Amino acid sequence: MNDMLIAVTLLLVAATATAAVAARDPVRQALVLAVLGVALALLFTVLQAPDVALSQLAVGSALTPLLLLLSVRKVRRRGRRKGRTE
Amino acid sequence: MNGWTVTATVALAGGGAAAVWGVATGPLRRRVVAQNLSTTLACPALLLLAQGYRRPSYVDVALVLALLGPIGTLVFARLLAEDLHEDPPIGLTLTWVAVAFSAAVVAAVCAATGPGRAMVKLLVTGALMISGSLVASRALARGMPKGGDRHE
Repeated sequence: MNDMLIAVTLLLVAATATAAVAARDPVRQALVLAVLGVALALLFTVLQAPDVALSQLAVGSALTPLLLLLSVRKVRRRGRRKGRTE
Repeated sequence: MNGWTVTATVALAGGGAAAVWGVATGPLRRRVVAQNLSTTLACPALLLLAQGYRRPSYVDVALVLALLGPIGTLVFARLLAEDLHEDPPIGLTLTWVAVAFSAAVVAAVCAATGPGRAMVKLLVTGALMISGSLVASRALARGMPKGGDRHE
């Protein structure tokens, strides 16, 4: 009976994952990945696996974007410093 | 399938499509708003699912999302402060609609649960969800204090 709900969340996950692959800029990719984490958590809940959804939320919605953005920031700053010394 | 899951399906189909479209296209200032919208919308959807499946323990997922979703948006607001300062985010109207929707969902689920410990948990989840969403969109719209220029 819940086929419709599963289909909707699966479509959401597929669309977001495609958008994450298609994004070229790492900052924008981090934004899409955050949405993908939430969509995956919804899919796991719909498939009756709330414990998996909990860990997916913790990793996907806060940690992955934080790691990506911190790395982007560090790389940018290093590039700026190198440009200044040359 | 009952009314709760039907409402969750409709909300996820409509709002989820809007969030995915907003986050995948357009300028950066609209993408952060769409990311905030996705967490603001997923929270009431999870509450609806918990009620629809008759499993009160599923509220835990919504509680964790209500805590972590605004943190994720604040991470973006803090680390993208330089980019967002140049052109402030637009299109926060949909977020307000999602906040109103989550308030309505919390009220409906509370009415269905009846008084007790479960209702207190629902109210805490709803308060966290709404205040977190308001704080996150405020940080996006007005910028973080001293964001970005501290390490220059």
